[in-house]
Amino acid sequence: MTENTSFSEDQRDCLQEIVNVAMGQAGDSLARFLEVFINLSVPRIKLVAAAALTDTLAEMVGTSNQVSAVRQGFHSAEDGRGMRGEAIVVFSDTSFKELAELLAYEEEIDDPAEKELLLDITNILNGACLSGIAEQIETELAFSAPSVLGHRVDLKDLIPAKNVAWNQALLVEINYTLEKRSFKCSLLLLMPGEAIEVVKKALDDLLDDFD
Amino acid sequence: MPIPLLICDDSAMARKQVKRSLPEHWDVDITFAKNGVEGMEAIRGGKAEMVFLDLTMPELDGYGVLKQVKEEDHKAIIIVISADIQPEARERVMGLGALDFIKKPVDKIKLAEVLKKYGLL
Repeated sequence: MTENTSFSEDQRDCLQEIVNVAMGQAGDSLARFLEVFINLSVPRIKLVAAAALTDTLAEMVGTSNQVSAVRQGFHSAEDGRGMRGEAIVVFSDTSFKELAELLAYEEEIDDPAEKELLLDITNILNGACLSGIAEQIETELAFSAPSVLGHRVDLKDLIPAKNVAWNQALLVEINYTLEKRSFKCSLLLLMPGEAIEVVKKALDDLLDDFD
Repeated sequence: MPIPLLICDDSAMARKQVKRSLPEHWDVDITFAKNGVEGMEAIRGGKAEMVFLDLTMPELDGYGVLKQVKEEDHKAIIIVISADIQPEARERVMGLGALDFIKKPVDKIKLAEVLKKYGLL
């Protein structure tokens, strides 16, 4: 399944550039929110099968870390049959602590405040990233309200394999480095196979324009 | 004589996008580079009177290229084309000697505006 749904090198390069532009917009929004300058790096993208998702995430986030995550559904605004799925932003506890400190929460922040901050950051990242992608592949997305998927939980408990309604995940690794602080999060776009096909078709159309 | 022009970006698609956005009938001799190290080689080799430069790249990023061009005193005219739209990114590259900054994705209109602004067209 992974093989016939994987991206060609051209599709991967095209999508990476689209994500790069979208993350530039997200970075700018986040920089304004945090009032810092953010050094951007090239986002890494990867298509993984649902079954391999937790292992791949563990490589990126590190297994010793507890994580928090927020989920948000998205679907094509036009007919509901195009690009659709679920966006999940995963933060490691250490990264999240850096953010909370930066926002000058000097004392330990309580659970509700922490969840609110998680939702705020996710809104910024998802909104800019997904809208950016949608804009460049010329579609329009609608979003459902974000909700906390897990708060300080073990990674393996985050995405229970038996509950997944999709078979492929587009994994976008984002590294933002703030002055003197490092902040890393992973954005997962979980999409069913047919929605990934829609994305691939859009990439091919875009690539045809350039030949 | 065609103008030696360097397009330096790690993405193949972004390089094509810049090439496609160039003014028609502009007499240029294009060299492509996929990171700052390759870009510096082209600049040292005299293949870059003008440069369209990306910022986030592996090996050597756009900031690094701007610094080296300054240190080595090359005369290349550098226009940054980047997805990093933070106002401070623009200030930083201008401080490092870039002529101007164009936000990605680039298109014919934006590129022509900047070239005309500096009398380069």
